[in-house]
This record gives sequence, structure tokens and C-alpha cells, in this order.
Amino acid sequence: MSSVASSKTVTVTVNGVEYEREVEARKLLIHFVRDDLDLTGSHIGCDTGNCGACSMLVNGQLVKSCMLLAIQADGATIETVEGLADGGELTRLQQSFSDHHALQCGYCTPGMLMSATALLREHPSPTDEQIRKGLQGNICRCTGYWNIFEAVKAAGA
Amino acid sequence: MLLREVEYAKPGSVADALAILREHDGARALAGGQTLINVMKARAASPDVLVDLNGLDDLKGIELAADGTLTIGAMATYTDVLASAEARARPILGEVCATIADVQVRNRGTIGGNVCSNDPTNHLPPLMAAVGARMTIAGESGERTVDAHDFFLGVYLTAVGPGELLTRISVPAGKQDGFAAVTLGADGTCIANAAASIDGGRVRVALGCVDAVPVVVTADGPEGVGAAVDAANLMPPFDVHASSEYRGHLARVLAIRAAEQAAGRS
Amino acid sequence: MSTTTIETAPAEVVAPQKTWSGQNVPRKEDKRLTQGEGVFVDDIKRHGMGYIHFVRSPYAHAHITSIDVAKAEQTKGVYGTLTGEEVASLTDPFFQLSTPPGAYLKDYALAVGKVRYVGEAVVAVVAETRELARDASELVEVEYEPLDAVVDARKAQDDDAPVLHDESGSNLMWEGVFEWGDLDAAFAEADKIVKIDELHFHRFNSTPLETDGALVEFNRGTGQWTLYTNNQFPGFAQIMMGPAMRCGLDKLRFVTQDIGGGFGNKITSHPQLVACCLLARKLNRAVQWTEWRTDFHMSMSHGNERWFHDTEVAVKNDGTLLGFRTKALDDAGAWLRYEPLGGVIWAQVTPGVYKWRHIRLDFTQVATNKAPCSPNRGYSRMQHLWFTERVMDIVAHELELDPIEVRKRNYIKAEDMPYETPNGCIYDSGDYEKMLDVATDLIGWDGIEQKRAEAKERGRLLGVGIGSTLDSGTNNFGQSRLINPELQFSGNNEVATVKLDIFGEIVVTLGTTPQGQGHETTAAQVVADILGCSIDDVHVRAGHDSYWNSHAGFSGTYASQFAVTGLSAVKGATDMLVEQIKRLGSVVLGGVPEEALELAEGTVRIKDNPEAALPFMACGAIINANNAGLPEDLDVTLNCRYVYRPPFQLPDLERKFGNLTLTYASQIHAAVVEIDPETGYYEIVDYAAVDDCGVRIHPQIVEGQVMGATAQALGAVTHEAYEYDEEGNLLTPNFYDYHVPHALDMPPLRTGYIETASPFTPLGTKGMGEGGGAGIHAVCAALQDAMRGHGDAIVYDSWNPYKRVWEMLNARGAVVTVEPA
Repeated sequence: MSSVASSKTVTVTVNGVEYEREVEARKLLIHFVRDDLDLTGSHIGCDTGNCGACSMLVNGQLVKSCMLLAIQADGATIETVEGLADGGELTRLQQSFSDHHALQCGYCTPGMLMSATALLREHPSPTDEQIRKGLQGNICRCTGYWNIFEAVKAAGA
Repeated sequence: MLLREVEYAKPGSVADALAILREHDGARALAGGQTLINVMKARAASPDVLVDLNGLDDLKGIELAADGTLTIGAMATYTDVLASAEARARPILGEVCATIADVQVRNRGTIGGNVCSNDPTNHLPPLMAAVGARMTIAGESGERTVDAHDFFLGVYLTAVGPGELLTRISVPAGKQDGFAAVTLGADGTCIANAAASIDGGRVRVALGCVDAVPVVVTADGPEGVGAAVDAANLMPPFDVHASSEYRGHLARVLAIRAAEQAAGRS
Repeated sequence: MSTTTIETAPAEVVAPQKTWSGQNVPRKEDKRLTQGEGVFVDDIKRHGMGYIHFVRSPYAHAHITSIDVAKAEQTKGVYGTLTGEEVASLTDPFFQLSTPPGAYLKDYALAVGKVRYVGEAVVAVVAETRELARDASELVEVEYEPLDAVVDARKAQDDDAPVLHDESGSNLMWEGVFEWGDLDAAFAEADKIVKIDELHFHRFNSTPLETDGALVEFNRGTGQWTLYTNNQFPGFAQIMMGPAMRCGLDKLRFVTQDIGGGFGNKITSHPQLVACCLLARKLNRAVQWTEWRTDFHMSMSHGNERWFHDTEVAVKNDGTLLGFRTKALDDAGAWLRYEPLGGVIWAQVTPGVYKWRHIRLDFTQVATNKAPCSPNRGYSRMQHLWFTERVMDIVAHELELDPIEVRKRNYIKAEDMPYETPNGCIYDSGDYEKMLDVATDLIGWDGIEQKRAEAKERGRLLGVGIGSTLDSGTNNFGQSRLINPELQFSGNNEVATVKLDIFGEIVVTLGTTPQGQGHETTAAQVVADILGCSIDDVHVRAGHDSYWNSHAGFSGTYASQFAVTGLSAVKGATDMLVEQIKRLGSVVLGGVPEEALELAEGTVRIKDNPEAALPFMACGAIINANNAGLPEDLDVTLNCRYVYRPPFQLPDLERKFGNLTLTYASQIHAAVVEIDPETGYYEIVDYAAVDDCGVRIHPQIVEGQVMGATAQALGAVTHEAYEYDEEGNLLTPNFYDYHVPHALDMPPLRTGYIETASPFTPLGTKGMGEGGGAGIHAVCAALQDAMRGHGDAIVYDSWNPYKRVWEMLNARGAVVTVEPA
């Protein structure tokens, strides 16, 4: 029978780097990434799983990391905003965000970029409707989203 | 936002999962986590043990039988349903799943989780009640199957008892279905919703949001739905989004619309 | 809502480029923010730091009968606690801006003796980890004796209303009467009097995605606190905190870098910051506080909720509006944190965009058992401007006049600018009629009736509405004396420094605390233009730091003023630097007169002989490291600090007359809605926003602010509301029930602009960013238009969720009567 434990040593690969840490069962993945791994690019904007600022890719799937336990991510491959650019060279998507003024305060931006990344992987030339659906889980209070739609569209194929 | 201490297990088989649930009184199944983790963040409930079902591949499949019955594993996610060719046998399922929250939630949230949490504002309880789904529950002594109308027992309460797990949902063949909702923002939480299904000349409408469990009414056709809803003597809850009267009014309008949608399909 | 169209009057990049200003240069902030390399307050860590969790009141109104922290403190991993009793002995109550009775409030960092709203902080627990602090907080035992609560401002002054503050004796916090012109004459001259029983502007705010927070360190040796925080008005926070903490203001070092949105909602975090400071000192370690989303909703900076009662409008038959009188009842919540300044700030825009001259407003502010109100985007002006727009549309409705014609008849005209309002404010420039034409053109006003007919075929009620609004910017803090003549505040200021370093690096520091407005970028544009160098050579430090000595009493980012105060300070400092560079150049280039010199291509050179050039690097090197032999009286440091001071006078307290804000940006919006009459559900199907903020340094940034303000206004009018039940429980404490717009909620958007430069500012810019709630005004108007002939309801509330639309369809809205004068 499988073990029941209040903590575990987990191994995760984040942006290509492997980490091994002891983690309490109750720790949320977003807190693990931010506090234990010092990857503070992903953010927290709410406490009910609504805002999407914590969005990241876990085993290639877009998730809100505030609704996943770190312990559930044992063995997973995780991608966060820090892994997008290549040594300071912005990706086409990141550059498009800047070109289209799709960010103001930048707080929602990491989550928004991960959602857009997931979207573009599935729909390289997304329609307007697909873009809205793809970003529906990410709240922005600064831009009103219109420039974000433009940026994602322009970053498509 | 921060959970209380909890223990965690990730069983590799349904039998293992059931054993852990039996052994620990305060154990709860963790499916998609899109509801339970939030409940635990708010400390509204704090299970002692979380039994992570995400390793149970047996519960993830979606199968279409020769007679048109669709069997959905309880751990199938909304995204799985949307991606499934089999699930298109009953199109309303994918259509409704596509309107639940957002991509992130749909990637993790499960059909079984939605149905078992039985929040009155959920989409799937009324939908499953309308299409006449049957729920298979596994326990120590084996499996049993429960009709949708016996499955939903109260707010957050279903026929799945302690030490048991919902393993799959069987949806009969059919295409004459409808679903109508007024939500808090696009793809948002339901303020009122109604699912309808036409089967053998009768239309069955299940109303969500108006009571602890879906309220099911039947009529001979969409034109009789209004009266059927009136006869149900609804006393819907009130909250910041709707008075009892308004919610009841919405339920009636949506019931008719869902029924008309169903009738309009072949 | 299937497609997004953004049609903008193009802001073209002029080539060859003449100036950086006016161009959409790439934002300097973006490189770090798109890579997740911004530094927000929760990102900062200190060795051994303690995490704070606040125990908060579950009651809207109660005596605190006992507090026991023993169990919490004995828990392993808990570093310590702080109670109201300790706070009351270690600090003095916060300074109150109000006159009596509001002046008597005793406001501390934690509740002392009593709680007055659900969510009020009572005890702070500090522990090794976030989780332990949260766990330990459940071991804190607080006993309460619940009291009745008052949540309706209209009942707050009833004889039997529970009184929140015994010190003030009643729930009346402040009141004042504002009257200008000749009301009697106006009402005598009127053909009709339109009477509106009750209008209500609801309680909401801008829910910045990042909540409040701080990491505070205390240096025992020097008594210096360093607050890494996202407070957006450090000048105000210091002024409030210093006296309370019995320390000099310099002991409170504020450091901000990236802030995840402010919108005014991060101005009044000083109580929590005091708690953090006391804990950092008490526990001898850095302490960290990040506000939960739920805590933000329950306790932080609700926008002013305001009723308008017994409004009477003097109207001519041709639709000319002569004046109005109204009674404004403002619900301040449980504490006055920036209030009662809201009681006068609306007067910056007393007539709205209209030329009526006879106005009386009785302003009453009361306390209720709800979260304290503090500035929210559009602070106090938005409420008043909504009122004026409602009046326009209600009058048009009642007199069966065209809302466009009524507006044009009553708008202040471009040729009347600068325009002195009835209370002495000067609208610097603007052309509302032109903007209205652009807006109606963008929205396809002429084709609306056909769209209405088409919608009717589909069983939908279509309506179109206009919202005109102002963004008054750069406050004269002297207006605070209209609230309380004893206050010693007036004018305004902002600071910038610009220096030329040893290697020719141009370094700029600001006093502001940007939350996405692109200050680093726009400041660099201004500097590069003046110095004649590349924008890439101008380095603007991110954020704010008291240690840079680049701030003054009013420093911060709030109230739509950076383009005026911040950029004018930048201009001033850069002009000083230019003068110094030329003075140095004159000496080094052999005594050439300064008039013969110019700055270009990163050098100072002789106009007629450009080869005789001294690069900036050389200038910096000479002054900083190689200065022997320079004339003794050469007053050149190449490190220039400038304090911009807008030209303000003290207002006339007797007549409540005087200029309260320096600039007036404007926005005119048009909205088209479709209502499903069976359910009250509606959609915004088309939208146009036209803005004028004077000279635009960075058009894309300006438009971004317009869009953001629009989105927030649309969220507010449709769904966002801080609603309370009768016991004072907040019904919308998180993003489930407090629905903010998501991607799928956005209507198509068309934008346009005009630029009427301000004659009063060094760059012709006008502050902007708040937006004045035009979206709320426009959607209210559109809903009312849609219901013409279907119940003819008058929209009476700024919050119009589906349930209210359904109610309005089934019964009239506001009670309005029209009487002959």
C-alpha cells in the first residue's frame, strides 16, 4: 500500500534545472517555486484560484500552481516565465508584449505569458476567439486586455 | 491561502485508494483540486489525509460502447472530454465543459470532481441529471451503480460514502440536449442554469442553483416546461447576485430555453 | 463580442526623428517585467525574516473584552505577536485631517478596545514561515462582545444608530455646504425644475492584482527603519507614521521598485506599516507582510460610496441647464484614513464639463461599520462626474430631448478655455464638443436606430449612451483647508535629480512610485530631448528610495499628475544640468560664451564649430575626478536636484473659491448595450473612448491608461461591488463573487484622441490615468436608453448587475418629477 506522509523529498525540473527539496504536503506549488526555489517571476494575486498570476506549465500543461500541491509535482517538468527568454534574448512573444504595450505594471505578465505560450503551442495562428478563451484564466487590471490580444495575435505564425 | 497540516498519499490502484480512505476517517479524495484546494486554503475544511487520485489511469478513460453509451472515467478532465472523439457522441457534454472557467481549470478539473462536489452552482450535476447519467461507485464490497436522481443528496453531499470512490459515469446515447445559463461574467460562476434532454417524447429539465440538489421537472414538450417549473414551487436561495424571486424567474426562463434548444436538435 | 477592433487615430513615428517625446519608444521597464525579473515586495527575502499574519475581526462592531496570545507565542517557530494594547502604548493615534467631531477619532495600527468592521486587524502574529504564522493565528484567543452595526449611511445619523466612535459622539464625520452663484435666481429663471429623489454611487475599488505588502527592517544602532513596500504615496505615509511612531520622518526609509498596480488603493497602508515597524523593532528581525486577497477586499481602500438626495435641477425648455442643488451623503466606512478630503476633492470638477453657474452641494460624511474608504481611481471626482452625467441624461429623458443636443448645448466651449468654474477652478484647455463628435462617429451614432431595430428582431433591447468626464490632475493641497482651516498643507511638489557621472552616464532619480505608468521611459524621453542624446544613454532608476533624497512632502504616484509634476521636475533638473554643462563647456572650450554652445549627440559643442566638442563623459570626468585648475567660482556639480512647484495660491476659505487642480484632461466615451429583456442579462456590444490629455509624451502609454481605466469602469458598472449584509459581512470578499473583467468580457474597443495642450505646464502635458469613470457614465446612459419604451426606468445606481436591470425593466428606477418652475 502507498505511504501516507506529511512531507516528502520531491524532485522537480524547472526550466531545465533539477531541484531536490523536502516539502510539506500542504505546501502549494506556487509557494514552493517562489519561496523554496527562489523563482519569484510567477506571482500570487488572489487566494481562490481566480486570477491566474501563478500560471505555469507542468508537464506541458497550463495550470494554476496555487491549486496544485508541490508534492503533486514530484517528478514533473515545469516551465515558468524565467525559462522563456534565452539568456536575456526576449522571445517573439515577449517582444510582442513590449511592442504592443501589453503590460503596464507587469504583475500579471508572467502568468499571461505562460498562458499565451500554451495557447500558441496548441494554436500557432490563433483566432481572436481562441486568444480570449486561452487567456480567460488570467486577470489583468491595468491594460483592459485589448493590447494583450494584439500582442498574442502578432506573435502567432 | 495556506493549508493546515495534512498527510498525503498517491495510490497506484483504486483498491489502494479505497483502503487508505477506509483506514483514515478524515481522508478525502483529491481529484483535480480546483475546488478542494481552495476549500482547504480558506480552511473551510481540512482533511487529515489527501488521497491523490491522479495516478489512477484506470479512472481516466472515455469509452463509447456499441449501443451508444458513453462511459467517462471519474478522473477524466474537462480538457480530456473536449479532446475526446468518443465524447462527441453526446455533444452537450463538451459544449458545457468548454464554458467552465478557463483553460487552467479545465486541464486539471475532473468530471467526477465536479459531480461529487455537488456545489449548487456547478454545471455538471444538472447536466448529468438531465441526460439520465448513471454513477458507478466503488467501495470495499465492490461496485454499485446509482441513477443521477439518487446520486445528488445535498449541498456538497452525494451518494459516495466514506471509504468509497466514484469511478465512472455512464451517459446513455442521445443528442437532443440543451443547456442555458446566466453566469457572473462570461464563462463565470452560474447564477442560474438549466439542462434539458428530450427522451422518448418527454423533455426532462434539471435546474441547478435553485436548491441543494438539481431540481428535475418533466413535460411533454418545451411549451409545458414553464408550468412544470411553476408546479415545482421553487424557493431558490438568495445571495449578492440574485434575490430568491429573480433566481426563480431566471430558472423558469432558462428551463424553457434549454428545452427549446434540445427540441431544436436532431 | 466576437472580435476586438481597435481603431485608433494613428500616432505616427516621425522620421527622421526630431524628438523622443511624442514617440512610442520601447518601454525600459519591459525587459525585466517580461522575464519575471521585476522586484515586487513579496519577492524580497531577508535571512531569518518573520512572516506576519493578522488576526482580524469577525464582527462588524464589537468591544474587545480580552486578548490572549500566550498559546500562539508558545508555539514553536513563532517569533512574537503585537496587540492593540501595545500599539496604544508605543504610538500616538494617527493625525486626523477632519475638524471635530471626526477630529476626535483615535486611529491606531491595530484595533484598540473595539472593532468597527469585519476584517479589522486586531493582533499580529509573526513566525518562521507563512504557514506557521497562519497556524499560530488560530491559537490567538480574542473575546468579543458584539454590538449592533450600522451599514447604511442613510441610517448612520438616526437617533438609534450604533455609534462607532465614542470619542466623536456621533457617526457624523464631517459636513460642509458648498454654494456658488445665485440659486434663487437660477430657479426663478428656470422653465422647469427636475427633481431626482435619490441617486447612489456604489462602493468598489480597482483591486490591483498585487495586494499591499512590506518587508521592514529595523537598524537598532541608528534607529532607522527601512520599509521595502508598495505604498504609492510615501510622502503621505511618512507624514502619518512619523508623529504616530514618535520618530523623525527620516527614520522611515521607503524603498519601492516594481508595484503591481496601485490605482490609489495603495495609499493608506500606513497602519499596517506601523505594525510592521513595531514588530521589526520588537523582534529584532526583518518582518514580512503580504496582504491576502480576501484581506484586501475586506479592509483596504474602498472607493467612496455616495448618495445624492433631493436633487433639484433648474432647466430651460431648450435644454439649457442653469444649476442644481443636491445633498451628497458620503459613506466613509469605519475610519478616516485619507478622508474627509473626499469632501472637497469633488469640487475640482464642480460643474463637470458643463457651463451651469449656480450650484449648491451639501456634503455630509458619516462613518459606518464597513471597510475604511480611501482614494480609488477617480477619487471623489468620479462620483460627482457620474452625478452630473446622470443629471444630463435624466433631464434629457424627462424633457424628451436628444442627449447629444443637451450636451452640446451645455458643454463648456473650447473658445471659453481657460475656463473659470463657479468655484474658481481653472479648466486649462479642452474641446468637449469635438471629442463628442469623434466619439459618436466612432460608435456609428447615425446608424444606431437601424442597429436598434435589428436587435429588436433578435429579441434584444439596444441602447446607446454617452459618458463625459474629466481627469483633474496635480492637486493643490490647499483644498484640504476647505475641509479643515487648521491644516497646514497647500500647493504640491515633486522632485527629480539628473546627474552626469564620471563615465558620462546620465542617471535620473524620481520621487515617484510608478505602478506601470512607464515613468522610467517617459522621464528618459524628456531628458534625452533636452540633452540631445540617445534615450538609451539615459538611465532612470527604478522606483523610489528615500535615501536618494529625491523626494518631497507630496512625492508619490497618485492623482493623475506625473506628466505634470514628475516630468516638470525632470525637465527642471535637466535644464539645470544643461546650464551647468554649458558653463563647464564654456570654461573648458577656451572661454567661449555659453550662448555660442549647444548640446547635441552626447556632447557640448560650439554651434559654429561642431568639431570643438566636449563629450559628456569628459564633463563628468573633469568635475568628479579631475577638477584641479577649474575657476574657484565655477558653480558646477553636474548633479542637479530640482523641486517642481506648481503655481498655486491658497484658496479663499470663506467663499470656498480658488484653483484646486492645475490640469484637466478629459474623456468622452460612448457605449452600446444589448439587454435580454427576459432575464435582465446584458452585453456591451460596442464601445468608443476618446481622450485629451494635452501633449502626449508617449501615446501608447496614454492610450494604455485610457484602456485600463475603461476596463475598470466597465467592471464596476456591471459586476464589481463591495456589498454588505445587514450584519456588516462583506458578501464579495474574493474574486469569485467580486467579478472583475476577464478576457471574454471585453467589448470591442475603438479609440480616438485630440491634444489640447495645457497652457499651465512646462511641457504642455496634463496629468491623466484615473479616467474619471467614463465607462460607468456611458453604460448607465446606454442602459437607460435601451429601456426607453420598455418600462422607461431611470438608472439611479452606478452598479447595474443583471438583477438590477431586471428590476428596472419591471418597475421604474429613480423617482423623478418635473415641475414647472
